[in-house]
Amino acid sequence: MHYTFNIERGNFTDAGQASSSVKRTLKQLGVNPADIKRTVVALFEAEINAVAHAYGGTIDVDIDGQKIVMVVADQGPGIPDLNLAMQEGWSTASPQVREMGYGAGMGLPNIKKNTDDLKIDTKVGVGTTVTMTVYLA
Amino acid sequence: MAQEIYFRHSLRVNDYLCKGCTTCMRTCPTAAIRIRDGKAVISDNKCVDCGECIKACPHKAIYIKQDDFGRLFNYRYRVCLVPTAFIGQFDTKYKTKAIYSCLLKLGFTHIYEVEHEVARMIELYNRYMDDHPEITTFISPYCPAVTRLIQVRFPSLVDNIIHVRAPLELASRMITKKLVDEGARRESIGVFYVTPCAAKIAAVKYPVSGKDTYVSGVINMDFLYNKVMLMLHDSDKNAQPINHKLNSRDVQWSLAGGEAPHFRGYHYAVDGLSNVLQFLEKLEDETVDAPGLVEMRICDQGCVGGVLTTNNRFVARKRLEYRARLFERLERSNLRETPSDDEPLTDEMIDVMTIPEIKPRSILKLNDDFAEAFKMAERMKTIEKALPGVNCSACGAPSCAALAEDIVRGEASIDTCIFINRHSQASENAIHSIWGDRVKTKETNNDK
Repeated sequence: MHYTFNIERGNFTDAGQASSSVKRTLKQLGVNPADIKRTVVALFEAEINAVAHAYGGTIDVDIDGQKIVMVVADQGPGIPDLNLAMQEGWSTASPQVREMGYGAGMGLPNIKKNTDDLKIDTKVGVGTTVTMTVYLA
Repeated sequence: MAQEIYFRHSLRVNDYLCKGCTTCMRTCPTAAIRIRDGKAVISDNKCVDCGECIKACPHKAIYIKQDDFGRLFNYRYRVCLVPTAFIGQFDTKYKTKAIYSCLLKLGFTHIYEVEHEVARMIELYNRYMDDHPEITTFISPYCPAVTRLIQVRFPSLVDNIIHVRAPLELASRMITKKLVDEGARRESIGVFYVTPCAAKIAAVKYPVSGKDTYVSGVINMDFLYNKVMLMLHDSDKNAQPINHKLNSRDVQWSLAGGEAPHFRGYHYAVDGLSNVLQFLEKLEDETVDAPGLVEMRICDQGCVGGVLTTNNRFVARKRLEYRARLFERLERSNLRETPSDDEPLTDEMIDVMTIPEIKPRSILKLNDDFAEAFKMAERMKTIEKALPGVNCSACGAPSCAALAEDIVRGEASIDTCIFINRHSQASENAIHSIWGDRVKTKETNNDK
């Protein structure tokens, strides 16, 4: 099953629609709550990252019998130092974003914690593609 | 397909009054209602007894079945378990004592205020929270409709609910025990609860805890209000409840925000169906950080907003707040004795009040078999794309998505969509099967 969503820059209020929609499908499939939770948390974090940092992008979600693959691709500034970005507490979020309660530097570490497989392709000035996989128990 | 029924309800549809207008169906938060043969049909496993359909119905076709009042007289001791929300229905010019004397005149022999158990409820909650340090967000079990809503729509949150039964269960035990101690036979005691809503009836009759109850019957609040109102103007007698006096905290317990502030740490008070749904959604996604206790009431303003209340919820709320302030003032100036929390919590009470397990009862899961569910979900997505997406409800389902789900579950046919069928001969027949005879009459007229 395939789902596609668009990401709009700076639109925090509408963020979360992708994860809500995916959550509904996973509930219909009877996927266990723990796997639903980590999928939704990872997808939401990735979406928020793109909303906060990039100039827009897309989310593609594929669900099959064994796994959920989520690809969040954005056109944005890219991540100059990936190792640094993976550290808890490191953030380049603007003060405005932080004021909204985001930008605590937990996004990528949280995604890593909640997914079974995480791949990040990033090029400064071009964009970032985050591929996350959750294997179903 | 025979389905196991997990829930039973007191909500009923009066087929004579129901016009099949779809209003209730569109209001239902769990999409539990369908129109079949032109009448509303409620699904037992999906309904959470929130009462929104009763509030929405323009024809008063949905009602709450109550126990026959005459049953009261099968008992020698007839106890009325009164929640403060009942007192809130009456103007503050009427004294609580006068209202209670009317209840005695109606045939009750004893009056017991449910909120008398509040002090012990607080202790029970605190004990449960202390025993479960692994849980971050606790959800109050006070509103039974919230508990059921979580079971069916947010099954991953069932463990966040404090596994403690409602105060009326403790109240009914306490009063029964007291009367037995005074020499009454257990079978001769009838305890009747005055309910502000449908959810509390269901919670008494078909408890989530699976444990037995000491409540013998339930009386609808609006029914009793009318009876008392007729007698109140010439009531001069003063009647006392047999419990110790309530304090201002107890009086306001059933109001939205009446429960949460009495617990240490962070607490939140969420009332109203849409607010509850939104909060649970966020809690489930972990997109809201809410450590502590969340008090949730399906009804706006709490129990004074219940579907069986007669007066405006804001007015009823103000009246209870007025009584609470009055108690505080009188106590401060020593004109009223400060009620003490007399009975301590015993091991027996803890045992009685504990809910062993709250089972998840997901209504979203399409099939127990993953592969089959997967096939169904894919089909559902395809069907949904084919449907017009205008959610007209003419097919008898609340939305196009709900119709798609009904189709893959084998409970409806795609022919029922009047948009898909607008050019086909079968469309008229389809409308017949949903809307029944009235359409047939029209057709006959056209033929003439």
